[in-house]
Amino acid sequence: MRRKKQVGQAAFTTLNVVFLVLIAATMIIPLWNAVAESFSGSFASMRPGILMWPRDFSLSGYTTIWTVLDLWQPFENSVIVSVLGTLLHVLLSALAGYALAQSGMPGRRFVTGLILITMMIPFEAIMIPFYITMQQLGLLNSLAALILSGMVSGFSVLLMRNFFLSIPGDILESAKIDGAGHFRMFWQICMPLSKAGLATVGLFEFVGRWNNLLTTILLINDSTKNTLQVALNALISGGSSTSSGYLITTNVKMAGIIIAILPLIIAYPFAQKYFVRGIFLGANKE
Amino acid sequence: MMSADYPRSQMAIPVRHPLVHHVNKWVRAVPLYVMLLPTIAYFVIFTYYPLLHSIFISMQNFNLIGNRPYVGLHNYRHVLTDPTFWSSFENTLFLGISILLIGFVAPIIMALSLNEVLSSWLKRTVQMVIYLPHLFSWVVVGGLWIQLLAPDGGLVNAVLQVMGIAPVQFMSDPNLARWVIILVSVWKDVGFNTVIYLAAMVGINPALYESARVDGANRWHEMGYITIPSLARTMQVVGLLSIMGVLRLFDQIYVMRNAVIEPQVNVLMTYVYDMGFQEMNIGRATASALLILIFTLILTLFTQRLIRVDHS
Repeated sequence: MRRKKQVGQAAFTTLNVVFLVLIAATMIIPLWNAVAESFSGSFASMRPGILMWPRDFSLSGYTTIWTVLDLWQPFENSVIVSVLGTLLHVLLSALAGYALAQSGMPGRRFVTGLILITMMIPFEAIMIPFYITMQQLGLLNSLAALILSGMVSGFSVLLMRNFFLSIPGDILESAKIDGAGHFRMFWQICMPLSKAGLATVGLFEFVGRWNNLLTTILLINDSTKNTLQVALNALISGGSSTSSGYLITTNVKMAGIIIAILPLIIAYPFAQKYFVRGIFLGANKE
Repeated sequence: MMSADYPRSQMAIPVRHPLVHHVNKWVRAVPLYVMLLPTIAYFVIFTYYPLLHSIFISMQNFNLIGNRPYVGLHNYRHVLTDPTFWSSFENTLFLGISILLIGFVAPIIMALSLNEVLSSWLKRTVQMVIYLPHLFSWVVVGGLWIQLLAPDGGLVNAVLQVMGIAPVQFMSDPNLARWVIILVSVWKDVGFNTVIYLAAMVGINPALYESARVDGANRWHEMGYITIPSLARTMQVVGLLSIMGVLRLFDQIYVMRNAVIEPQVNVLMTYVYDMGFQEMNIGRATASALLILIFTLILTLFTQRLIRVDHS
């Protein structure tokens, strides 16, 4: 009886591990396949067959991306928009979060409500009037428009507010007695104590901006201002040739994909813990 | 001198008018409102103004350049009688409900399964790997899968060929393509939700398991009577976020659609985009977006109400 139970136990454990490894394989194999293809020779990458190792090893996929297709410009635009946009987003969310964390602030409930309501309006649902607002401001076709859109978000403000609320009150009290004003309390006491919160908001925002597609296809109509995702999408879905008649082989497409995910993969091990924490902190709306 | 001043200042307090106190409260809050200013300005200019503006645009024959005559509810009438709008609606329902159901169950199974793994190395590695696709953009994920499923040179068809199965045209058969979209969507987000459930599992009181074990409970009992019920609140949060997510379905479709499958995979948000920026009919596009927004709000409020009732 006991032996039977142990055998059952072992069988379950083995099956469970096999199941998990299989699921994980569906995530790893596509990526590995892309890496192998990106390092293959131009025509070798197009030949059918199971490709798990570069065939006719070559860097032509990567060199074509930089030299012939000039993905450098979109890459640079993406870096500018993501970095500046994230810094601005983190700063503004923290400022607003700090203000909303002050229980004595008059009108606090009204402003909080104003921000909460925006969380119920998906950006996609107002994309057209948003485009028209940008047009009225004369910002279409500029990187400034991309940096400005999503300059702050209800989710991030709430997350920062919840983070500031968790700072022990006596730390703030003693600073207040020393005569510190709100800006000094914010900058010298609350910000240094909230590095984890700032990192969480910053990471979410950076990934979101780096991966953003819709804002660019809405606001940018000039190839020198394109971001990486839009340029990559044109490259991948543009069939196998560009307007200039250059044949785009699979290794080039996959090299583009690897370039687009590399910054994320590098940051990921450092960032992993913040992603989970952020969801729980942001979910508390009371 | 101190003693002479003391009673006077004490007397001044009750004399102070409540209005002065009220004004002072606002004066003291000025720095806080300076901090809030950029945020409030952003939401007013880029959320509330466009929202209000869209009510007017939706009743205009809106041209980006030139005159914009008012046409009343004509745009709404046109959208509501447009078969493309309704087929996009139907596609959104089909894709959305499928993604919701499969995407809801899959991470729970994954989390329960990972929770049974004793080796912490394996657990951490699997967690890290399944989270990866969530970090990638839809351009990357769509591009990867279109390439994997390509009939000539794609990995999936190469494997099928080894197994003696003829190449399958995944992305040019509308019914297959719909399922590809559903499963790729689940594939991308399963790790993210699994990690949320795992984090919630860490918070379950271990004493519950100990006392259950004393009572002779086995693995399945523990799972059914302790783990799953303890996750109820997390399930509600994940469910609510997912509902909002499927209504916003846009990037994935924009990246993965092609002319052959479009009628079966176009969703409400791609309808708005196409109407506005391909057919250049801004008025109608805005009218349809407002209809979708109202529908979204009703659904969200309804779900939130449902969850709250269920919770109390």
